Amino acid sequence: MEGEIFEQRTDLSKLNNAVEQIKATLAKIIVGQQDSIDLLIAGILADGHILIEGVPGVAKTLTAKLLAKSIDAQYSRIQFTPDLMPSDILGTSVFNPKTTEFEFKHGPIFGNIILIDEINRAPAKTQSALFEVMEERQLTMDGKTYKMQEPFTVLATQNPVEHEGTYRLPEAQLDRFLFKIEVQYPSLDEEIAIITQQHQQKTTDQLKEITPVLSGADIVSLRRQVLSLHVEDKLLVYVAKLIHESRNNKSLFLGGSPRASLAIVNASKAIAAIKGRDFVTPDDIIHVAAPVLRHRIMLTPDKEMEGVTPDDVIAQLVQKIEIPR
Amino acid sequence: MKRLVIAFLLLLFALCQTSYTHAAAVKKISSGKIFIDTTKVELKKFNAKALDKFRTDKNFNYNGEAVGTPSLWDRFWKWVGQLISGLFKDIPFSGTILKYLALALAIAGLVFIILKSLGLDPIQLWRPNAKKTDVPYSESLENIHEIDFDAEIEKAVSQHNFRLAVRLLYLKCLKQLSDKNLINWQINKTNETYLYELTDPTQKQTFKLLTHQFEYVWYGNFAINGEAFTSINLLFQNFKKQLP
Repeated sequence: MEGEIFEQRTDLSKLNNAVEQIKATLAKIIVGQQDSIDLLIAGILADGHILIEGVPGVAKTLTAKLLAKSIDAQYSRIQFTPDLMPSDILGTSVFNPKTTEFEFKHGPIFGNIILIDEINRAPAKTQSALFEVMEERQLTMDGKTYKMQEPFTVLATQNPVEHEGTYRLPEAQLDRFLFKIEVQYPSLDEEIAIITQQHQQKTTDQLKEITPVLSGADIVSLRRQVLSLHVEDKLLVYVAKLIHESRNNKSLFLGGSPRASLAIVNASKAIAAIKGRDFVTPDDIIHVAAPVLRHRIMLTPDKEMEGVTPDDVIAQLVQKIEIPR
Repeated sequence: MKRLVIAFLLLLFALCQTSYTHAAAVKKISSGKIFIDTTKVELKKFNAKALDKFRTDKNFNYNGEAVGTPSLWDRFWKWVGQLISGLFKDIPFSGTILKYLALALAIAGLVFIILKSLGLDPIQLWRPNAKKTDVPYSESLENIHEIDFDAEIEKAVSQHNFRLAVRLLYLKCLKQLSDKNLINWQINKTNETYLYELTDPTQKQTFKLLTHQFEYVWYGNFAINGEAFTSINLLFQNFKKQLP
Protein backbone atom coordinates (compact mmCIF):
# COMPACT_ATOMS: atom_id res chain seq x y z
CA MET A 1 0.00 0.00 0.00
CA GLU A 2 2.81 2.35 0.90
CA GLY A 3 4.52 1.92 -2.45
CA GLU A 4 1.49 3.08 -4.38
CA ILE A 5 1.38 6.63 -3.05
CA PHE A 6 4.28 7.12 -0.65
CA GLU A 7 7.90 6.22 -1.25
CA GLN A 8 9.58 4.09 1.40
CA ARG A 9 11.54 6.28 3.77
CA THR A 10 13.25 3.78 6.10
CA ASP A 11 14.37 0.27 5.30
CA LEU A 12 12.93 -1.86 8.07
CA SER A 13 13.28 -5.15 6.17
CA LYS A 14 16.22 -6.40 8.27
CA LEU A 15 14.40 -5.61 11.48
CA ASN A 16 11.18 -7.23 10.31
CA ASN A 17 13.02 -10.34 9.11
CA ALA A 18 14.81 -10.64 12.44
CA VAL A 19 11.53 -10.26 14.33
CA GLU A 20 9.89 -12.95 12.22
CA GLN A 21 12.85 -15.28 12.79
CA ILE A 22 12.79 -14.77 16.54
CA LYS A 23 9.04 -15.36 16.59
CA ALA A 24 9.48 -18.53 14.56
CA THR A 25 12.23 -19.74 16.89
CA LEU A 26 10.12 -19.15 19.97
CA ALA A 27 7.05 -20.70 18.35
CA LYS A 28 8.95 -23.99 18.04
CA ILE A 29 8.70 -24.43 21.80
CA ILE A 30 6.34 -21.81 23.20
CA VAL A 31 2.66 -22.25 22.43
CA GLY A 32 0.57 -19.09 22.23
CA GLN A 33 1.66 -16.03 24.24
CA GLN A 34 1.86 -13.97 21.05
CA ASP A 35 1.26 -10.64 22.81
CA SER A 36 3.92 -11.40 25.42
CA ILE A 37 6.42 -12.39 22.73
CA ASP A 38 5.70 -9.20 20.75
CA LEU A 39 6.29 -7.12 23.85
CA LEU A 40 9.47 -9.03 24.71
CA ILE A 41 10.90 -8.33 21.26
CA ALA A 42 9.74 -4.72 21.45
CA GLY A 43 11.45 -4.39 24.82
CA ILE A 44 14.73 -5.71 23.42
CA LEU A 45 14.50 -3.34 20.44
CA ALA A 46 13.67 -0.38 22.69
CA ASP A 47 16.76 -1.03 24.83
CA GLY A 48 14.72 -1.76 27.92
CA HIS A 49 14.73 -4.21 30.78
CA ILE A 50 11.74 -6.51 31.03
CA LEU A 51 9.94 -7.94 34.03
CA ILE A 52 7.86 -11.03 33.33
CA GLU A 53 5.25 -11.87 35.94
CA GLY A 54 3.09 -14.94 36.15
CA VAL A 55 2.04 -17.78 38.36
CA PRO A 56 4.39 -20.79 38.51
CA GLY A 57 4.36 -23.03 35.45
CA VAL A 58 3.40 -20.66 32.66
CA ALA A 59 6.83 -20.78 30.94
CA LYS A 60 8.11 -17.39 32.05
CA THR A 61 11.68 -18.54 32.48
CA LEU A 62 11.59 -20.72 29.38
CA THR A 63 10.39 -17.82 27.22
CA ALA A 64 13.08 -15.54 28.60
CA LYS A 65 15.75 -18.23 28.09
CA LEU A 66 14.62 -18.86 24.52
CA LEU A 67 14.71 -15.17 23.72
CA ALA A 68 18.18 -14.88 25.22
CA LYS A 69 19.38 -17.95 23.29
CA SER A 70 18.05 -16.55 20.01
CA ILE A 71 20.53 -13.69 20.37
CA ASP A 72 24.20 -14.51 19.95
CA ALA A 73 25.50 -12.55 22.93
CA GLN A 74 26.96 -13.25 26.36
CA TYR A 75 24.15 -14.80 28.35
CA SER A 76 24.16 -14.92 32.12
CA ARG A 77 21.65 -16.31 34.56
CA ILE A 78 21.20 -15.41 38.22
CA GLN A 79 18.81 -17.31 40.45
CA PHE A 80 17.60 -14.91 43.12
CA THR A 81 17.30 -16.37 46.62
CA PRO A 82 16.57 -14.79 50.02
CA ASP A 83 20.23 -15.08 51.12
CA LEU A 84 21.74 -13.60 47.95
CA MET A 85 24.16 -10.72 48.61
CA PRO A 86 24.87 -7.71 46.34
CA SER A 87 28.43 -8.93 45.81
CA ASP A 88 27.05 -12.24 44.49
CA ILE A 89 25.56 -10.28 41.61
CA LEU A 90 27.98 -7.46 41.01
CA GLY A 91 31.28 -9.03 41.94
CA THR A 92 33.77 -8.34 44.66
CA SER A 93 37.37 -7.22 45.23
CA VAL A 94 39.67 -10.14 46.09
CA PHE A 95 43.16 -9.77 47.52
CA ASN A 96 45.87 -11.21 45.31
CA PRO A 97 48.83 -12.24 47.47
CA LYS A 98 51.17 -12.40 44.48
CA THR A 99 50.63 -8.79 43.44
CA THR A 100 49.62 -7.67 46.97
CA GLU A 101 46.73 -5.80 45.38
CA PHE A 102 42.98 -6.14 45.36
CA GLU A 103 41.54 -7.38 42.09
CA PHE A 104 37.93 -6.99 41.06
CA LYS A 105 36.26 -10.31 40.32
CA HIS A 106 33.36 -9.69 37.94
CA GLY A 107 29.94 -10.94 39.01
CA PRO A 108 27.34 -12.52 36.74
CA ILE A 109 25.80 -9.14 35.99
CA PHE A 110 28.63 -8.59 33.50
CA GLY A 111 27.02 -9.91 30.35
CA ASN A 112 24.72 -8.88 27.52
CA ILE A 113 21.50 -10.69 28.25
CA ILE A 114 21.02 -11.25 31.96
CA LEU A 115 18.25 -13.55 33.06
CA ILE A 116 17.29 -12.98 36.68
CA ASP A 117 15.00 -15.76 37.71
CA GLU A 118 12.51 -15.19 40.53
CA ILE A 119 13.79 -11.67 41.13
CA ASN A 120 11.37 -11.03 43.98
CA ARG A 121 12.81 -13.83 46.11
CA ALA A 122 15.67 -11.54 47.19
CA PRO A 123 15.13 -8.73 49.73
CA ALA A 124 15.44 -4.99 49.04
CA LYS A 125 19.13 -4.88 50.03
CA THR A 126 20.05 -7.16 47.16
CA GLN A 127 17.63 -5.49 44.76
CA SER A 128 19.24 -2.11 45.34
CA ALA A 129 22.50 -3.49 43.96
CA LEU A 130 20.85 -3.42 40.53
CA PHE A 131 19.84 0.27 40.60
CA GLU A 132 22.97 1.76 39.04
CA VAL A 133 23.66 -1.01 36.58
CA MET A 134 20.09 -1.11 35.25
CA GLU A 135 19.70 2.63 34.74
CA GLU A 136 23.19 3.83 33.91
CA ARG A 137 24.58 0.63 32.39
CA GLN A 138 27.61 0.96 34.62
CA LEU A 139 28.82 -0.25 37.95
CA THR A 140 30.86 1.62 40.54
CA MET A 141 32.87 -0.53 42.92
CA ASP A 142 35.68 0.63 45.21
CA GLY A 143 35.69 4.00 43.47
CA LYS A 144 36.11 2.51 40.02
CA THR A 145 33.41 2.58 37.35
CA TYR A 146 32.89 -0.38 35.03
CA LYS A 147 30.84 0.18 31.87
CA MET A 148 28.52 -2.56 30.72
CA GLN A 149 28.99 -3.89 27.25
CA GLU A 150 26.23 -3.14 24.71
CA PRO A 151 23.63 -4.60 24.41
CA PHE A 152 22.80 -4.84 28.08
CA THR A 153 19.33 -6.15 28.91
CA VAL A 154 17.92 -7.60 32.09
CA LEU A 155 15.12 -10.12 31.68
CA ALA A 156 13.61 -10.85 35.07
CA THR A 157 10.87 -13.22 36.08
CA GLN A 158 8.78 -13.05 39.20
CA ASN A 159 5.81 -14.67 40.85
CA PRO A 160 2.94 -12.42 41.88
CA VAL A 161 3.72 -10.68 45.18
CA GLU A 162 0.93 -12.53 46.99
CA HIS A 163 2.87 -15.80 46.69
CA GLU A 164 4.86 -17.41 49.53
CA GLY A 165 8.41 -16.21 50.13
CA THR A 166 8.31 -13.19 47.84
CA TYR A 167 9.07 -9.51 48.43
CA ARG A 168 7.62 -6.48 46.68
CA LEU A 169 10.32 -4.90 44.52
CA PRO A 170 11.31 -1.33 45.44
CA GLU A 171 9.54 1.35 43.36
CA ALA A 172 12.91 2.71 42.21
CA GLN A 173 13.74 -0.66 40.72
CA LEU A 174 10.33 -1.26 39.20
CA ASP A 175 10.62 2.08 37.44
CA ARG A 176 13.80 0.83 35.76
CA PHE A 177 11.92 -1.91 33.95
CA LEU A 178 10.55 -0.83 30.59
CA PHE A 179 7.75 -3.40 30.61
CA LYS A 180 6.01 -5.60 33.07
CA ILE A 181 4.58 -8.41 31.01
CA GLU A 182 1.88 -10.47 32.66
CA VAL A 183 1.85 -14.06 31.43
CA GLN A 184 -1.58 -15.60 31.71
CA TYR A 185 -2.68 -19.22 31.73
CA PRO A 186 -3.02 -20.73 28.24
CA SER A 187 -6.43 -21.28 26.68
CA LEU A 188 -7.82 -24.82 26.45
CA ASP A 189 -6.64 -25.25 22.85
CA GLU A 190 -3.19 -23.95 23.75
CA GLU A 191 -2.99 -26.27 26.73
CA ILE A 192 -3.84 -29.25 24.50
CA ALA A 193 -1.17 -28.12 22.03
CA ILE A 194 1.41 -27.82 24.84
CA ILE A 195 0.71 -31.36 26.06
CA THR A 196 0.71 -32.81 22.54
CA GLN A 197 3.95 -31.06 21.66
CA GLN A 198 5.64 -32.26 24.82
CA HIS A 199 4.31 -35.80 24.31
CA GLN A 200 5.69 -36.00 20.76
CA GLN A 201 9.05 -34.51 21.69
CA LYS A 202 12.02 -36.83 21.23
CA THR A 203 14.69 -34.77 22.94
CA THR A 204 14.68 -33.56 26.53
CA ASP A 205 16.83 -30.51 25.93
CA GLN A 206 14.70 -28.20 23.83
CA LEU A 207 17.16 -25.35 24.05
CA LYS A 208 19.74 -27.32 22.03
CA GLU A 209 17.55 -26.87 18.96
CA ILE A 210 17.70 -23.09 19.24
CA THR A 211 20.16 -21.31 17.01
CA PRO A 212 20.85 -17.59 17.39
CA VAL A 213 19.26 -15.39 14.75
CA LEU A 214 20.81 -12.09 15.74
CA SER A 215 24.17 -11.02 17.08
CA GLY A 216 24.73 -8.49 19.84
CA ALA A 217 25.97 -6.01 17.24
CA ASP A 218 22.79 -6.51 15.21
CA ILE A 219 20.71 -5.68 18.28
CA VAL A 220 22.68 -2.48 18.83
CA SER A 221 22.22 -1.51 15.18
CA LEU A 222 18.46 -2.24 15.22
CA ARG A 223 18.07 -0.27 18.43
CA ARG A 224 19.62 2.78 16.77
CA GLN A 225 17.20 2.40 13.88
CA VAL A 226 14.23 2.16 16.24
CA LEU A 227 15.39 5.21 18.13
CA SER A 228 15.44 7.26 14.91
CA LEU A 229 11.76 6.62 14.06
CA HIS A 230 9.45 9.58 13.65
CA VAL A 231 7.04 10.68 16.40
CA GLU A 232 4.76 13.63 15.73
CA ASP A 233 4.83 16.46 18.27
CA LYS A 234 1.13 16.05 18.97
CA LEU A 235 1.75 12.43 19.95
CA LEU A 236 4.51 13.48 22.33
CA VAL A 237 2.00 15.87 23.90
CA TYR A 238 -0.50 13.01 24.06
CA VAL A 239 2.00 10.86 25.99
CA ALA A 240 2.79 13.74 28.35
CA LYS A 241 -0.93 14.31 28.98
CA LEU A 242 -1.42 10.63 29.69
CA ILE A 243 1.35 10.55 32.28
CA HIS A 244 0.32 13.88 33.75
CA GLU A 245 -3.23 12.55 34.15
CA SER A 246 -1.86 9.57 36.06
CA ARG A 247 -0.33 11.94 38.60
CA ASN A 248 -3.66 13.70 39.18
CA ASN A 249 -5.86 10.63 39.16
CA LYS A 250 -7.73 10.10 42.43
CA SER A 251 -7.43 6.33 42.15
CA LEU A 252 -3.66 6.53 42.21
CA PHE A 253 -1.32 7.11 45.10
CA LEU A 254 1.69 7.23 42.76
CA GLY A 255 1.52 8.22 39.11
CA GLY A 256 3.92 7.76 36.22
CA SER A 257 7.40 9.27 36.31
CA PRO A 258 9.10 11.19 33.48
CA ARG A 259 10.98 7.94 32.90
CA ALA A 260 7.58 6.38 32.17
CA SER A 261 6.90 9.04 29.49
CA LEU A 262 10.22 8.26 27.82
CA ALA A 263 9.54 4.54 28.11
CA ILE A 264 6.17 4.89 26.36
CA VAL A 265 7.71 6.85 23.49
CA ASN A 266 10.61 4.40 23.03
CA ALA A 267 8.43 1.33 23.35
CA SER A 268 5.82 2.67 20.92
CA LYS A 269 8.63 3.27 18.41
CA ALA A 270 9.63 -0.39 18.73
CA ILE A 271 6.02 -1.54 18.27
CA ALA A 272 5.70 0.69 15.18
CA ALA A 273 8.90 -0.83 13.76
CA ILE A 274 7.63 -4.36 14.37
CA LYS A 275 4.45 -3.41 12.51
CA GLY A 276 6.59 -2.20 9.61
CA ARG A 277 6.08 1.54 10.08
CA ASP A 278 8.74 4.17 10.59
CA PHE A 279 6.42 6.43 12.56
CA VAL A 280 4.30 6.09 15.67
CA THR A 281 0.51 6.19 15.79
CA PRO A 282 -1.80 6.59 18.83
CA ASP A 283 -2.54 2.86 18.61
CA ASP A 284 1.12 2.08 19.27
CA ILE A 285 1.10 4.32 22.34
CA ILE A 286 -2.06 2.72 23.71
CA HIS A 287 -0.63 -0.74 22.97
CA VAL A 288 2.35 -0.13 25.27
CA ALA A 289 0.62 2.05 27.90
CA ALA A 290 -0.42 -0.84 30.16
CA PRO A 291 2.86 -2.83 30.15
CA VAL A 292 4.84 0.38 30.69
CA LEU A 293 2.67 1.81 33.45
CA ARG A 294 1.20 -1.14 35.37
CA HIS A 295 4.26 -1.65 37.60
CA ARG A 296 5.02 2.05 37.96
CA ILE A 297 1.71 3.29 39.32
CA MET A 298 0.39 2.60 42.81
CA LEU A 299 -3.28 2.42 43.66
CA THR A 300 -4.78 4.15 46.69
CA PRO A 301 -5.68 1.74 49.54
CA ASP A 302 -9.43 2.17 48.99
CA LYS A 303 -9.15 1.31 45.29
CA GLU A 304 -7.10 -1.76 46.14
CA MET A 305 -9.80 -2.81 48.59
CA GLU A 306 -12.42 -2.38 45.88
CA GLY A 307 -10.48 -4.80 43.70
CA VAL A 308 -9.47 -2.25 41.08
CA THR A 309 -6.33 -3.26 39.15
CA PRO A 310 -3.66 -0.97 37.68
CA ASP A 311 -4.80 -2.03 34.21
CA ASP A 312 -8.34 -0.79 34.99
CA VAL A 313 -6.99 2.62 35.94
CA ILE A 314 -4.72 2.76 32.88
CA ALA A 315 -7.75 2.02 30.68
CA GLN A 316 -9.56 4.91 32.39
CA LEU A 317 -6.60 7.21 31.83
CA VAL A 318 -6.54 6.34 28.14
CA GLN A 319 -10.27 7.03 27.90
CA LYS A 320 -9.82 10.45 29.44
CA ILE A 321 -7.38 11.80 26.88
CA GLU A 322 -8.47 12.88 23.42
CA ILE A 323 -6.72 11.08 20.57
CA PRO A 324 -4.78 13.63 18.51
CA ARG A 325 -6.30 13.37 15.09
CA MET B 1 -17.55 -47.50 109.62
CA LYS B 2 -14.86 -45.88 111.69
CA ARG B 3 -15.02 -42.76 109.58
CA LEU B 4 -18.76 -42.54 109.99
CA VAL B 5 -18.45 -42.65 113.79
CA ILE B 6 -15.83 -39.85 113.75
CA ALA B 7 -18.04 -37.72 111.52
CA PHE B 8 -21.06 -38.25 113.79
CA LEU B 9 -19.06 -37.25 116.87
CA LEU B 10 -17.76 -34.07 115.21
CA LEU B 11 -21.28 -33.06 114.17
CA LEU B 12 -22.56 -33.66 117.73
CA PHE B 13 -19.78 -31.50 119.18
CA ALA B 14 -20.54 -28.63 116.83
CA LEU B 15 -24.24 -28.67 117.72
CA CYS B 16 -23.48 -28.65 121.45
CA GLN B 17 -21.09 -25.67 121.06
CA THR B 18 -23.70 -23.57 119.13
CA SER B 19 -26.38 -24.25 121.79
CA TYR B 20 -24.01 -23.14 124.56
CA THR B 21 -23.05 -19.79 122.90
CA HIS B 22 -26.66 -18.89 122.23
CA ALA B 23 -27.65 -19.65 125.85
CA ALA B 24 -24.80 -17.39 127.20
CA ALA B 25 -25.92 -14.42 125.08
CA VAL B 26 -29.52 -14.65 126.22
CA LYS B 27 -28.33 -14.77 129.85
CA LYS B 28 -26.23 -11.54 129.42
CA ILE B 29 -29.16 -9.40 128.05
CA SER B 30 -31.54 -10.69 130.65
CA SER B 31 -29.23 -9.33 133.42
CA GLY B 32 -30.58 -5.66 132.59
CA LYS B 33 -27.29 -3.73 132.77
CA ILE B 34 -26.91 -1.39 129.74
CA PHE B 35 -23.93 0.97 129.58
CA ILE B 36 -24.60 4.46 128.00
CA ASP B 37 -21.84 6.16 125.97
CA THR B 38 -21.50 9.71 127.40
CA THR B 39 -18.59 10.90 125.24
CA LYS B 40 -19.13 14.42 123.81
CA VAL B 41 -19.75 14.35 120.08
CA GLU B 42 -18.07 17.16 118.19
CA LEU B 43 -19.66 18.06 114.86
CA LYS B 44 -17.04 18.52 112.18
CA LYS B 45 -17.62 21.03 109.37
CA PHE B 46 -16.21 21.27 105.88
CA ASN B 47 -13.93 24.13 104.99
CA ALA B 48 -16.30 26.61 103.28
CA LYS B 49 -13.50 28.35 101.39
CA ALA B 50 -12.17 25.12 100.01
CA LEU B 51 -15.67 24.11 98.94
CA ASP B 52 -16.20 27.44 97.13
CA LYS B 53 -12.90 26.94 95.39
CA PHE B 54 -13.97 23.51 94.21
CA ARG B 55 -17.36 24.86 93.12
CA THR B 56 -15.75 27.46 90.88
CA ASP B 57 -13.41 24.86 89.37
CA LYS B 58 -14.76 23.77 85.94
CA ASN B 59 -13.24 20.33 86.37
CA PHE B 60 -15.64 19.57 89.23
CA ASN B 61 -18.71 20.93 87.47
CA TYR B 62 -20.32 17.62 86.52
CA ASN B 63 -23.74 19.09 85.65
CA GLY B 64 -22.34 21.20 82.85
CA GLU B 65 -24.03 24.31 84.21
CA ALA B 66 -22.25 27.60 83.78
CA VAL B 67 -20.36 28.72 86.86
CA GLY B 68 -20.33 32.38 87.59
CA THR B 69 -21.00 34.82 84.76
CA PRO B 70 -21.23 33.02 81.39
CA SER B 71 -18.86 34.20 78.67
CA LEU B 72 -19.99 35.68 75.36
CA TRP B 73 -19.22 32.35 73.62
CA ASP B 74 -21.30 30.40 76.20
CA ARG B 75 -24.17 32.84 75.83
CA PHE B 76 -24.04 32.43 72.04
CA TRP B 77 -24.32 28.62 72.26
CA LYS B 78 -27.09 28.93 74.85
CA TRP B 79 -28.94 31.16 72.43
CA VAL B 80 -28.42 28.64 69.60
CA GLY B 81 -29.71 25.86 71.85
CA GLN B 82 -32.79 27.88 72.75
CA LEU B 83 -33.38 28.66 69.10
CA ILE B 84 -33.31 24.96 68.13
CA SER B 85 -35.48 24.02 71.09
CA GLY B 86 -37.92 26.75 70.00
CA LEU B 87 -38.18 25.23 66.55
CA PHE B 88 -39.13 21.85 68.00
CA LYS B 89 -41.27 23.02 70.92
CA ASP B 90 -44.59 22.26 69.16
CA ILE B 91 -43.51 18.82 68.09
CA PRO B 92 -44.34 16.02 70.52
CA PHE B 93 -41.30 14.12 71.83
CA SER B 94 -39.05 16.87 70.36
CA GLY B 95 -36.60 16.39 73.20
CA THR B 96 -36.21 12.70 72.36
CA ILE B 97 -35.91 13.45 68.64
CA LEU B 98 -33.20 16.02 69.31
CA LYS B 99 -31.40 13.61 71.58
CA TYR B 100 -31.36 10.81 69.00
CA LEU B 101 -30.50 13.22 66.21
CA ALA B 102 -27.49 14.43 68.13
CA LEU B 103 -26.52 10.84 68.87
CA ALA B 104 -26.81 9.85 65.19
CA LEU B 105 -24.73 12.86 64.15
CA ALA B 106 -22.08 11.99 66.71
CA ILE B 107 -21.89 8.37 65.47
CA ALA B 108 -21.74 9.53 61.85
CA GLY B 109 -18.97 11.97 62.75
CA LEU B 110 -17.02 9.23 64.52
CA VAL B 111 -17.37 6.85 61.54
CA PHE B 112 -16.27 9.65 59.20
CA ILE B 113 -13.16 10.35 61.30
CA ILE B 114 -12.26 6.63 61.48
CA LEU B 115 -12.65 6.16 57.71
CA LYS B 116 -10.66 9.30 56.98
CA SER B 117 -7.88 8.18 59.31
CA LEU B 118 -7.76 4.87 57.39
CA GLY B 119 -7.24 6.81 54.16
CA LEU B 120 -10.67 5.91 52.75
CA ASP B 121 -13.06 8.27 51.05
CA PRO B 122 -16.42 7.82 52.88
CA ILE B 123 -18.40 9.37 50.02
CA GLN B 124 -16.84 7.04 47.44
CA LEU B 125 -17.52 4.00 49.67
CA TRP B 126 -21.26 4.59 49.64
CA ARG B 127 -21.43 5.49 45.99
CA PRO B 128 -22.79 2.52 44.01
CA ASN B 129 -20.47 0.87 41.45
CA ALA B 130 -17.61 3.19 42.24
CA LYS B 131 -15.30 0.90 40.26
CA LYS B 132 -17.31 1.20 37.12
CA THR B 133 -17.81 4.95 37.24
CA ASP B 134 -17.42 6.39 33.79
CA VAL B 135 -14.57 8.78 33.41
CA PRO B 136 -15.73 12.13 32.06
CA TYR B 137 -14.22 12.96 28.72
CA SER B 138 -12.14 16.03 28.33
CA GLU B 139 -13.78 18.53 26.03
CA SER B 140 -13.02 18.03 22.41
CA LEU B 141 -11.35 20.91 20.72
CA GLU B 142 -12.93 19.94 17.47
CA ASN B 143 -16.29 18.30 17.00
CA ILE B 144 -16.60 16.52 13.67
CA HIS B 145 -20.33 17.21 13.67
CA GLU B 146 -19.74 20.95 13.68
CA ILE B 147 -17.17 21.27 10.90
CA ASP B 148 -18.16 22.37 7.40
CA PHE B 149 -15.91 19.80 5.76
CA ASP B 150 -16.46 20.70 2.11
CA ALA B 151 -15.61 24.34 2.69
CA GLU B 152 -12.60 23.53 4.88
CA ILE B 153 -11.20 20.95 2.43
CA GLU B 154 -11.60 23.36 -0.44
CA LYS B 155 -9.83 26.02 1.57
CA ALA B 156 -6.95 23.69 2.48
CA VAL B 157 -6.51 22.53 -1.14
CA SER B 158 -6.52 26.12 -2.40
CA GLN B 159 -3.71 26.85 0.10
CA HIS B 160 -1.84 23.72 -1.08
CA ASN B 161 -2.08 22.42 2.47
CA PHE B 162 -2.71 18.85 1.30
CA ARG B 163 -1.77 17.38 4.64
CA LEU B 164 -4.59 19.20 6.34
CA ALA B 165 -6.89 18.35 3.44
CA VAL B 166 -6.25 14.60 3.93
CA ARG B 167 -6.93 14.96 7.63
CA LEU B 168 -10.24 16.70 6.92
CA LEU B 169 -11.14 14.02 4.40
CA TYR B 170 -10.57 11.37 7.05
CA LEU B 171 -12.58 13.23 9.70
CA LYS B 172 -15.37 13.66 7.17
CA CYS B 173 -15.27 9.92 6.54
CA LEU B 174 -15.58 9.26 10.29
CA LYS B 175 -18.56 11.61 10.43
CA GLN B 176 -20.24 9.78 7.57
CA LEU B 177 -19.71 6.43 9.31
CA SER B 178 -21.00 7.87 12.57
CA ASP B 179 -24.08 9.39 10.89
CA LYS B 180 -24.93 5.99 9.46
CA ASN B 181 -24.39 4.36 12.88
CA LEU B 182 -21.63 2.16 11.49
CA ILE B 183 -19.25 3.39 14.17
CA ASN B 184 -19.73 4.98 17.56
CA TRP B 185 -17.62 8.10 17.33
CA GLN B 186 -15.79 9.11 20.51
CA ILE B 187 -12.84 11.41 20.90
CA ASN B 188 -10.83 8.79 22.80
CA LYS B 189 -11.12 6.04 20.20
CA THR B 190 -8.29 5.20 17.88
CA ASN B 191 -8.57 4.47 14.17
CA GLU B 192 -7.99 0.79 14.86
CA THR B 193 -11.00 0.76 17.19
CA TYR B 194 -13.23 2.14 14.44
CA LEU B 195 -11.86 -0.50 12.11
CA TYR B 196 -12.97 -3.22 14.54
CA GLU B 197 -16.41 -1.62 14.83
CA LEU B 198 -17.09 -1.98 11.11
CA THR B 199 -18.77 -5.28 10.38
CA ASP B 200 -18.98 -5.28 6.57
CA PRO B 201 -15.76 -6.88 5.19
CA THR B 202 -15.65 -4.67 2.07
CA GLN B 203 -16.13 -1.50 4.07
CA LYS B 204 -13.56 -2.71 6.56
CA GLN B 205 -10.98 -3.35 3.85
CA THR B 206 -11.47 0.06 2.21
CA PHE B 207 -11.53 1.88 5.54
CA LYS B 208 -8.26 0.16 6.44
CA LEU B 209 -6.72 1.53 3.26
CA LEU B 210 -8.01 5.04 3.97
CA THR B 211 -6.74 4.88 7.55
CA HIS B 212 -3.37 3.80 6.23
CA GLN B 213 -3.18 6.85 3.94
CA PHE B 214 -4.31 9.21 6.67
CA GLU B 215 -1.80 7.84 9.18
CA TYR B 216 1.10 8.11 6.74
CA VAL B 217 0.23 11.74 6.04
CA TRP B 218 -0.85 12.88 9.49
CA TYR B 219 1.30 10.85 11.90
CA GLY B 220 4.10 9.84 9.55
CA ASN B 221 4.64 13.35 8.24
CA PHE B 222 5.04 11.99 4.70
CA ALA B 223 5.27 14.68 2.05
CA ILE B 224 2.17 14.94 -0.11
CA ASN B 225 1.68 16.85 -3.34
CA GLY B 226 -1.40 17.67 -5.40
CA GLU B 227 -1.13 14.47 -7.43
CA ALA B 228 -1.00 12.24 -4.36
CA PHE B 229 -3.87 14.17 -2.83
CA THR B 230 -6.01 13.55 -5.92
CA SER B 231 -5.39 9.80 -5.63
CA ILE B 232 -6.24 9.80 -1.94
CA ASN B 233 -9.31 11.95 -2.49
CA LEU B 234 -10.52 9.45 -5.09
CA LEU B 235 -10.20 6.62 -2.57
CA PHE B 236 -12.35 8.56 -0.12
CA GLN B 237 -14.97 9.34 -2.80
CA ASN B 238 -15.16 5.64 -3.69
CA PHE B 239 -15.58 4.68 -0.06
CA LYS B 240 -18.49 7.10 0.26
CA LYS B 241 -20.22 5.22 -2.55
CA GLN B 242 -19.86 1.93 -0.62
CA LEU B 243 -21.81 3.29 2.33
CA PRO B 244 -25.54 2.48 2.54
